[in-house]
Amino acid sequence: MLDWLKTMNKVYPDFWKNYLSTFNKKSKRFVLLSIETTGDSVQSDVILTIGAFSVIDDSIHIGDNFETVLMQYKFFHDNKLPFDFIVDSKLKKMGEPDAMKGFIDYLGNAILVGHNINFSVAMLNAALERLECGSLKNEALDVNIMHQKLIEVTDQDFTLDELLKVYKIPNEIKGSSPDAAYRTALLFLKLKSRLGIK
Amino acid sequence: MNSIAVQIADFLKEYTPFNRLTTDEILEIAVSIRVINLEKNKTVFSINDSLHDSFYVVASGLINLTVIAEAEETILTKCHEGTIFGLRPFFAKNNYMMNAKAREESVVYAIPIAVFRPFVASNSDVLNLLLENFAVDKRNANDKENFENNLISENSFFTGQQSGMQFFQNLSFNTHPLITTGNTVIKEIAQLMAEMKVNNALICEKNIPVGIVTDTDMSSKIATGRFPITDTVDAIMSYPVITVSENVSLAEAQLLMLKNNVTHLCVTTDGSDKTEIKGVISEHDLILAQANNPGVLIKEIKRSQKASELKQIRSRLGDIIQSSIQKNIPLTHISNIASEVNFAILKRAVEQSILELGSPPARFAWFSIGSQARKEQLLLTDQDNFLVFEDVAPEKYKEIKDYFIELATKAIAKLEKTGYTMCPDGHVASNIIWCKSVSDWLKQFDSWMKNPGEKNNNLSSIFFDYEIIFGDQKIEDALNTVVFENVVGNTLLFDFLGNDALRKNSPLSFFKKFLVEEEGPHKDKFDIKTRALLPLIDGARMFTMSYGIKGINNTYVRFKQLAITDSKHAEIYLDCADAYLTLTKFRTLEGIKNDDTGQYINIEELSKIDREKLKNALAPMKELEDLIKNKFQLTQFS
Repeated sequence: MLDWLKTMNKVYPDFWKNYLSTFNKKSKRFVLLSIETTGDSVQSDVILTIGAFSVIDDSIHIGDNFETVLMQYKFFHDNKLPFDFIVDSKLKKMGEPDAMKGFIDYLGNAILVGHNINFSVAMLNAALERLECGSLKNEALDVNIMHQKLIEVTDQDFTLDELLKVYKIPNEIKGSSPDAAYRTALLFLKLKSRLGIK
Repeated sequence: MNSIAVQIADFLKEYTPFNRLTTDEILEIAVSIRVINLEKNKTVFSINDSLHDSFYVVASGLINLTVIAEAEETILTKCHEGTIFGLRPFFAKNNYMMNAKAREESVVYAIPIAVFRPFVASNSDVLNLLLENFAVDKRNANDKENFENNLISENSFFTGQQSGMQFFQNLSFNTHPLITTGNTVIKEIAQLMAEMKVNNALICEKNIPVGIVTDTDMSSKIATGRFPITDTVDAIMSYPVITVSENVSLAEAQLLMLKNNVTHLCVTTDGSDKTEIKGVISEHDLILAQANNPGVLIKEIKRSQKASELKQIRSRLGDIIQSSIQKNIPLTHISNIASEVNFAILKRAVEQSILELGSPPARFAWFSIGSQARKEQLLLTDQDNFLVFEDVAPEKYKEIKDYFIELATKAIAKLEKTGYTMCPDGHVASNIIWCKSVSDWLKQFDSWMKNPGEKNNNLSSIFFDYEIIFGDQKIEDALNTVVFENVVGNTLLFDFLGNDALRKNSPLSFFKKFLVEEEGPHKDKFDIKTRALLPLIDGARMFTMSYGIKGINNTYVRFKQLAITDSKHAEIYLDCADAYLTLTKFRTLEGIKNDDTGQYINIEELSKIDREKLKNALAPMKELEDLIKNKFQLTQFS
């Protein structure tokens, strides 16, 4: 309630207004998301890389992707860490505001899917708040929970590596977010057909 | 920038036609790809579906392309990783002519035709490659021979008999035709033809063909009285002769005969009628070649020089086996033929190795053991073998042993290339413990049979199914003598073998349900090899040894022979023989379907009738077990 009062008089950036306007109709597009962060804290840690693919009609669209490494120089500087990670990364480099704007444009009203998706959403929301935007409004699915549903287990969590192993998805080369997102996408397709989700 | 697209491009550029494109071009294609996951048995497209806007590349898994022929689904081809299929929309407007179905869980890349077409148009190399594959039905051994060739023709059709091999199959023909000159009297020629039992004679001038007389000419021109029998042959000969070159393919020869309405083709050095005669091809030769004659395969094996040729021949044998089984030819015939071809391949692999290595410094014999020796190898299962060389002076022993180890290593590598994987237990001749002199081997068998079950004795019962493949027959005789001398009154040995046979897990549970694998990669599948076939094989071996029946290795024949020798229990043996055939058939079909050894059967996939059949085939095992328990004392090792 208070949230609503706070946001009453706020003027959102244009890209956010566009984003909100996409929710007029329901989407058939899934966006498979994987992010890397500097740590587990929503408040003090930041997003390092974002990788995403879309799934439409049971197929992964390789061209419909989003990948970036965020130039978190401030965070690295404050924590006295070297910048090698950003310099070495082969992904496209963007500042956090640009990256968030780009991602929100890419995401639109799609359904978010990922492993441990709630944490990813929380991290994204924290970053959005810094840009004076609201929280993500997308539906979100978690592959971990999908798997639990499939095998009818509720009290056990599976890591992404475990899930990939169960569904025999090659996982030899450790890559960055795009690789994880792609593998999650394959995993999602398998889970989706097994669970019969349309 | 799209790092996954880069990875996909890296994958694609290993395969034709993508390897003809530049990295940037492949990347452009990769970006437009859709990745599709197919659950097992899910179809990509089926017959009469309207065309998709993309074609497909298998990224992982296995896709079967099938057609419906005679109310049965027949596999045209199996698409492995990297294979392209579904090219039809490129060239044709009408609907798909085959089914594409995932044999196992698979991932395929769908490449939009709209994206790919510009590359085809601008790159004539790629266009030709695709056109070639679309125009010609080359789905068979040609594909297998050439691994670069991963394209699958779209208009393959299945007519039951045609196996598609005729496009590359060489013809064997009469290389010593009857040759005469134009001024020979007809009667003489007719006599010569009768003598040589041929139905044609070539008429030459200076060894260059000018005409041909055949039985048809004789009957239509002489027997009708149009020409007297005393005329010279040039009066009745047919000319000009249709000439072809030596390496004409079956299909070409067939077309030429149809086109020119002739029954014989003359083979000349360069294919024109101006050069020397090499032989003559008759319709009969075509029929022989079309029958996919295993005799031809054996001939080709004998001529082969490289392991890759053997591999190609073995894969053609696979085709013969597959089509024979689908045509319901009795399994005993099929396995007879298959074992002859297998035998020839094994022999040739050893021969080829000798040719490469130089002649052996001592006499030796190469033995096959296990399924190859029992002549039961329909699928490409593993190879087991050992090598025996004659006793030599101690100072030369090492040198000679080194030669044979090298020989064995070579031959085994060749067989591995042919498709026979190495025995997981290391029962191969390149292993230093299985490449020994005669006296060492005799000692080995002696110790196995006198002290079975002793530690470090390495006795595997398959060593008693040995069959000489290459080398000196005397060595086999020597082994036989030791084995059969030791059998007499050797209760200990049978005790050991009997326990070994009975230790295999039973196939059905108490409630007559199949006992399937509980864990591992083959979970929920039925292990037909260990649970059903091996007990029969072991049983048959034991009984034949105990009755001193020599020289029969095949399990089916063994049971048949036992029924004669031990007529009191004939019924059990005959049941086992039948059961053995049924089980082998199940295994072979499964193996063909999945391209593996067929060891694990998916019970769920069987129809209810097949399940009952399989269950019935398991019944005689119990009786055989009881028979073993009654006949032999199984106390020591129980």
